[in-house]
Order: sequence, then C-alpha cells, then structure tokens
Amino acid sequence: MALLETDSIAVRFGGNVALDDVSISVAAGRVTGLIGPNGAGKTTLFNIVTGLLAPTRGRVLVDGADITRLPPYKRAHRGLARTFQRLEPFVSLSVRDNVRVAGQIRDTWRRRGSLGIGKADPRGRGRLDLDRETDRVLELVGLTDVADRDVAELPTGQARLVELGRALMTRPGVLLLDEPASGQTEQETEAFGRLLRRLAQEDGIAVCLVEHDVGLVMDVCAMIYVLDYGRVIAAGPPDVIRADPAVIDAYLGSAEEGAA
Amino acid sequence: MDQFLQYTILGLVLGGIYGIAASGLVLTCTTSGVFNFGHGSIAMLSAFLYWQVRFDWNWPTPVALVAVLGVFAPAFGALLHITIMRGLRETTEITRITVTVALTVGALALANWIWDPTVPRRFDYFFGGTNQVKIFGSRITYHELLALAAAVLIAVGLRFFFYRTRTGVGMRAVVDDPPLLQLTGGRPERLATLSWALGAMLAALAGILITPILGGALDPNALTLLVIDAFAAAVFGRLRSVPLTFLGAVVLGLANNYVLAYFPSERWTWTSNFRISLPMILLFVVLLVLPQDRLRGGTITRARERFRVPTMRSAVVWAVILVVGMFLLREIMAPAVVNTMVIGMTFAVIALSLVPLTGYAGEINLAPVSFGAIGTIIAYHYGVTGSGVDTRMTVWGLLLAAAVCAVVGALVALPALRLRGLYLALATMAFGVFVSTMVVADTVPRVLPLLHVEFSIFPNGTLNVPRPRLGPIDLADGGTFLMVITVLFAVLGVLMVALRRSGYGHRLVALKDSPAACATLGQNPVRLKLSVFMLSAAIAGLGGALMSAAMVSVNPDRFVIFVSLGLVMTVVVAGIGYVSGAFAGGLLAGVGFVALQNMFDKVGTDHASLSSLFSFLSQFSTVLPALIGIGLARNPTGFVDDIIRAFEVFRRARVMLAAGLALQAAIYLLAYTDTFSNWWFVALTVLLWGIWPRITPLVSDRLAPAVRARRAGAGALPAGPADGPAEVPLELVGVDVPLTDEHRRVLDRALGLPETAALPGDLAAVPGRVTPSAGIPPAGTLVPAP
Repeated sequence: MALLETDSIAVRFGGNVALDDVSISVAAGRVTGLIGPNGAGKTTLFNIVTGLLAPTRGRVLVDGADITRLPPYKRAHRGLARTFQRLEPFVSLSVRDNVRVAGQIRDTWRRRGSLGIGKADPRGRGRLDLDRETDRVLELVGLTDVADRDVAELPTGQARLVELGRALMTRPGVLLLDEPASGQTEQETEAFGRLLRRLAQEDGIAVCLVEHDVGLVMDVCAMIYVLDYGRVIAAGPPDVIRADPAVIDAYLGSAEEGAA
Repeated sequence: MDQFLQYTILGLVLGGIYGIAASGLVLTCTTSGVFNFGHGSIAMLSAFLYWQVRFDWNWPTPVALVAVLGVFAPAFGALLHITIMRGLRETTEITRITVTVALTVGALALANWIWDPTVPRRFDYFFGGTNQVKIFGSRITYHELLALAAAVLIAVGLRFFFYRTRTGVGMRAVVDDPPLLQLTGGRPERLATLSWALGAMLAALAGILITPILGGALDPNALTLLVIDAFAAAVFGRLRSVPLTFLGAVVLGLANNYVLAYFPSERWTWTSNFRISLPMILLFVVLLVLPQDRLRGGTITRARERFRVPTMRSAVVWAVILVVGMFLLREIMAPAVVNTMVIGMTFAVIALSLVPLTGYAGEINLAPVSFGAIGTIIAYHYGVTGSGVDTRMTVWGLLLAAAVCAVVGALVALPALRLRGLYLALATMAFGVFVSTMVVADTVPRVLPLLHVEFSIFPNGTLNVPRPRLGPIDLADGGTFLMVITVLFAVLGVLMVALRRSGYGHRLVALKDSPAACATLGQNPVRLKLSVFMLSAAIAGLGGALMSAAMVSVNPDRFVIFVSLGLVMTVVVAGIGYVSGAFAGGLLAGVGFVALQNMFDKVGTDHASLSSLFSFLSQFSTVLPALIGIGLARNPTGFVDDIIRAFEVFRRARVMLAAGLALQAAIYLLAYTDTFSNWWFVALTVLLWGIWPRITPLVSDRLAPAVRARRAGAGALPAGPADGPAEVPLELVGVDVPLTDEHRRVLDRALGLPETAALPGDLAAVPGRVTPSAGIPPAGTLVPAP
C-alpha cells in the first residue's frame, strides 16, 4: 500500500528541466531507494515532496490525499519527515535538544488556534514523557554517548544521525533520507542499514532513501527507482535494477567498475 | 488639466530621483549581499559636501560636481566595501543590518559634528530656479529636466550594463554564486567593490538633485531618510530588478504629487504628514502583495555568532546581584543621577524586548522605541488617574500599553513575516518613521468623525506623562522608581532566560538556525515569528511607557527612528543573545554616551586651556557608538560575551574573586563616606574589573603550587594537580593544563604501556620542558624505556 506517491511531477528552473514526469510510490513497511548520478534531481524531488519547492506540474499524494498545495509544516502534520543532504542541524542546541525540540514542535501540532504557547497538552503527555522519548530515540540512532555535546562538534556522519533522530521524533509515517550514509564509516553504514530495516519493518515507516552507497541501497531496499536527467529510467527490486542495461549505462556500471 | 499635467511631470521628476537612489541600493545589495541601510547617509554626506565645496568655498559647479560625484562618493563607497562590508560574508543578517545601521547613525553624528545643525544651508536649482521651459503649458525648471534626463539615462544605462557588458554580467553572477564566479575567472570582490562605488555615486547624485526640490535648508535627518523612499521603490523590484525599481519609484513620485495636489489640506490637517508618510505606507502595501519567499536552508551553520545559555540558577543569582548592586549604587548617587539612571534602566527594558526576538529567534525590529511611543500614547490617554500633582499612571494603563503594542506589532510584522528577515527590518524601520512623521506628529486637536469629540494623539507636541503608582508603591520618587524598574528588569530578565530554556525558546532558536528544517518538522514559521514579535513589541511598549514616565515630559523628538537605530545597534554590539547584553546596551544607548559627552563638555569648560581637545572628545563620543557598531563585523557575538569569558578565570580562583570584591567594597565605602567623588568610584571600579581578570591567572599560577602542597599535606584530597586528570579530557592535556606525572600515568594506562618510574628529576632543567604547553612533550619523556 503506497503511503507516498508522486504523480507526474515536473519542475523547470528557467529553461532547465530538473524533473520530468516523475511518478514514484513509497510503500509503508519497507525501504524504497532513489538512486542516480549527481544532478539527476533526487534532492529536488525531496524538496517538492516536503513542500520547499513547488512543482511546475504534477501532484504529491500522502495516503491518497493531495498535498501539493500544502505548506511544508502542514505536510509534516500529515506524517512527512526528512533529513537534508546539506546538513541543517540546529547549531545553537545540543545533540539532545536537537532531537528533543522536534518532539516539542510535534507537541504543538494539536494546539491549533492558539499561538503555540501555554495550553496543556490535550493527551496529557508531559515533559517526562518527552524526555523518555528523546532518550529512546537517541539510543535508537546511537547518539546517547554524545547527547550533551554541541552538534557543531560532531563529525558529519553523526550529524546526519542527529537529523534522523530529529525526524523520528515527529513519529513520521514517511521518512525521506537524503544521502544519510555519506560521511559515515563502513561500520556506521552497516549499523545504519540495520536501523533502516528495523524502522521499516518494526515501526512500519515508509522509508525513502536517496543514497550513493550502492551496496547499502541494494542491501536494504525492497524497491528502487533510478533517476537520470530528471526522468525515471528504471524501477524495480534490486535484482532487476542490477541487471538493467540502461541503469548500468547511466550509473551503476561506472560505480561497480570503480569498486572493482 | 494644466494642474494635473504640472503635477504629473513633477511627480515623474521626483520618481526619477527616487529611482536613481533606489537603483544604487539594488546594485550594491545584489552584488555584495549587504542591504545598505546607510544608503541615504551617503546621499546626505554627499549633499553636504557639495554644499561645502560649491557654496561655501565657491568652486565652479562642474568642478564641485566632479569632486563629489566623481571622486568623493565612489571612493567612499569603495572604501566602505573594502574596510567593512567585505568582512560581513558568513555573518547573520542581523549583523549585516546592524553594521549598516551603525554606518547610518555614525554618518548622521559626523554630519552634525562637521556642519553645525543650527546654521541653515541652502542650495539652489542647477541653472537657477527661474530658467524654465514650458511643456504643454506647464513650467518645468532646467534642473527638473536634468533630473528626469539623468534618471532615464541611468535606467537605460544600468539595464545595458547588466546585460550587455562583461562586468555587468559578472555582477549578476556575483549574486548567485561568488565562489563559482571565481572559479570561472571572475573576481567577485573586485566587482562588489565596483558596485559599492557605483551605488554610492548614484546615492550622491540623488542627494544633490533632490535637495533643491525638497526646498528648505539641508537637513541631515530628512536626507538620511531618503533611503526609505528608495527602499519602497527597491522592494517593488524585490531588491533585484532595476526596471521594476524605477517603476516603483515613479509610482511613489506621482502618488506624492497627487496627494499634494488633490488632498484638501485645510480640512484634513494630516495631509502633509500623510504625504511624508507615503513611502512607508506604500512599502507596506508592496510587502503585502509580494509572493511568499522560498524557505531556505540555514546558511547559519557557518556563521560566527554563538551565544551560550545560562542556567536558571545563575540567572536568578545575577538578577539578585543586579538588584542589590543597584540598591547600593543608589545610596551614593546624587538625585539627578538617579533620574538619569531610571531613564537608562527603562531603555534597558526596551532593549530587553530585542533579546527574544533578535537574540533567540533571529528576527529584527529596528523600531523598538516607536513601539515605546505607542505604549506612551496609550498609557497617557487611557491609563491615568487622579488630577493635579496626584496624577498617576495605573498598572492597568501599563498593561494596556503592552497589550496594544502587541496588537500593533502583529499588524506591522504580519506582512513581512512571510518574507526573509531583511523585509521585517525594512517594515519595522518604515513603521518607525511612520510613527514619527504621522502618529506623534499629530499635535493639532481635531474633531473625530462620528464620535464628535476633540482629540489629538500628541496634544501640542508635548506629553506630560505622569509617574506610575503600583498599588501602595508610588514611583513619583526617583529612588523608588529606580528600584522598581530594576526589579522589573531583573524579573523580566529571568523570565527571558526561562523562555530560552523552555520548549518555546528551543523552537525559536531552531527556527533561527534552520527555517527549512523547522518547517519540515511541522513548525509553522509565521505563527512562531508572529508570537515572538508580539511578545517583543509588548515589552518595548511597556518599557517605552515607563521611559516617558521617567522623563516626565516627552516631545516627538524622543521617538525619531534614530533613537531606535542607536539602541538596536548598541544592544547588538553588546550581545543581543544575552539579557546582560540588553542591560549593557540599553544603559549605554540610554545614558552612557550622553553621559560621556556631558563629562567631556564639563571638563572642557572647567579647563579652558584644553577646551578644544575636550570639545573634540565630546563630539567624538557622538560618533563613537557607530564606530563600535561598525566594529561588530569583527566580533559579531558582542562584547558582553568577551567579558563573560574574561571573568571565567575566577571559577578556578575564588580567592582572587573574593579579593576583588573586597577591593570593590573598599572603593564603595570611600565613595559612600564622600571621601572621593562618584567619578572616582566609576573610574576605579572600571579600572579594577578591567585589570583584575587579567592579573588573576598570573597570581593564581604563583599561588597554585603552594595551595596544592597544602592540600596534599592535609590529605583531604587525592594527590595530583587541582585540575586532576579526571576533569580535563586527555586530548586537552598540555593545552588547557600543564602535563604532569599523573597525566603520564593515565596515558600509559590508556595505551596499555607498562608503568614507568617517575620522571627523571632533572626534567625541569631540560630546555624542552616549556613545550608541553604546546601539546608536544619532549621526546623520550612520554615513551617509556622498554
């Protein structure tokens, strides 16, 4: 069952076509991969899905509902969360507070009509609960040891985990990860792969993964879309993608030759 | 019809001049990324300089024009970029805005210093006012024709320059991606310098052309505010497009002249104020219709500003210290000084309004004192009881003032909040000018329609604002007022720290750090910004009402935009992220610099032989804040942060802190017993706390071995240095603390090396002994013999 769908998305920047007729669907409970060479339009697609960019044409659907015209924050209320390729941590906050503030933001969602100050939480979840949840997420992504450090001090690999933890605090239905493994060591990537599978299988999250680490993508994804020059040139499970001549030509071939 | 044509042509002329100024603004803004709030100041300085060379020194017109337009203005612009603006890359928008605001304030002070403002200076139309041509029956002076021609020429020329010349195309590329331009062989810094030179020249031209048209004497304030008209036009073009900017300028010029022509100024007494306020009103309308900005990722990741968050405990401790300290100070202050201090503290309260807004949320309000004006007006009209000498402001009046300011704040901010921070700065500055030209300028009573009561906002140009009474506490007494306002500041300050530490504060900071991430986590950015702006406006309104009460009698001059600009600048320089920054900045802006100037003036009159020196120093102290503000480019976190860092040495040297406090107490006692004057008290206190943190490390280094030996002897503490290995991360050993045997043992253990005997006794004599502070121990000392 597809939780997130894009329907014939097209984007132009001036005369350049960044995306052309891109339709993908991301199902709950599994990891969907989105690969392609640099400049293929992967991050642009994420920006459109999360509302940071408006498409020239096409629709974005979450759980069947059209969200193309919604502002970014309302899309988060519908269950979308993401990380950024160019890191966007809250540099004034500690690692713990980076994660915690996402929970604090989520706690304001239901306070429509007020300015978001005061007013007790209708479900009675208090501060203690938020603290416990923060600890749980920090543990889950493996940042407990550095929880009280400044986020600016962290190496890139860990900073990416901060963004993941932050996204998880909103309890997303759809999680969009933009090159989360770049900057991670091999061991970190391995642990990260396990974490992704666990998020999809145990929590039922629809994970959409943009990644250049082909090994990781092939390993964790149930479904893969390949983008090139703003178009989907192939879609299918890893085995099909690995054998697809167009993909090998555009992207994979060079990567595997490079690895060999 | 003739009249219509006449006004249309004059409107086009005015619009053309606005266009010249605005296109210069757009030019510098797009190529250097710095929006120059001081653009009008360049126009102002140039116009004054032109007056100087042309009419005071009687240079021929062409020579004077070349000197100002061809030499002074471009050189000034280029110099600004090279010395100041270039250093602003990778700072936050707040810092950039503040630096150019400092330029504005500084240029104004400089002009008032060089050209005595009490002497009227005029200059005539080029070719005189009588040389006219008739076009369709309308009389147009050569000067106006010249202005129109210049505007058309510049509009066309800039368009050509940007699209048809290599330099111009390069300039457009600078906006998009300077590093990329550099890679492809462009020289972004050079192009930016060139654009500043060109922009300054356009500003100068506009300043010289507009002065005779506006009529009257040269007025530094009015010319500086030419920048507002330029803003309004430039915003039409979204600060990018030159043609749209000129279109906006023409609309502005025409609207101005049609209001002049067709509004019944006899019946509507506010017409002339309305005409002056037109650019501000138009700016708001344009902001309302501008499409929403794309949310951008935080560029702040690389920014240099970092504020630390105090604990609640230290906030409360400092609040108590502030109140107690103020109480002790009050005991030695003369009554006049107490009253000055009260005004300073009310400024600090207004400054505090900027801490959540600017320090936490990263948005800026350039007109906090204008909200203070609104607060004053509300409290004066609706918050006063009693009559005669018993007239008092009520608590309800103050609260009402705060509430109304929150609402006004929402109205002012809402159009701009959808856009990036710069637009809010523009909107608030426009609001500030609007308040001083339209609201507090409403001094003539008139009958309100429908209500049929006579009313004016600022009757007769002076408000006698009564002192407040809060229940049993009467603030008519200056000393009581001082303590109440200090307690108020302390309480608000603690609340601000609590706010910063709360979930709300975390969300504000998150929004500042990355608007895009915040939005994708489900935070509505506009609502959050709006709430903090309303909070800020309310505090500013409360502080403003109290400020007016402290001054007792206020006139509209108290609320001109430059007061706000000076305050904002000083607070940012002090440290906008800290309550203590608001305290220091507020006091400095409110009374500090004025006190300094007065002191120099007084000393100058006392010592006639040095009077020229002291009068120089006195004038210099008016320019000083701006110089400090411009220096912000070098230290964007503010000087309070430096002070806090300097005082951190006392954490490890409590004895020295106690000794310093004892000295301070002695100084206080001497002042208290009138052994010496308060000037001595201030001077010695400043001297003491300037020197003490510096000598503390020296003294404690000398004392430390003795202390350590005593402790080891007592056996109460484990052996080893005071900062034991456990307290300092190992990688910082040798950097933060000297390397010791104990560290060596810990390192050996950590590396799994066998335990070694103590260092050879003669190590201290080895020349390499000094290097451990650089983190590189001499060879052979760390690696044990096998």
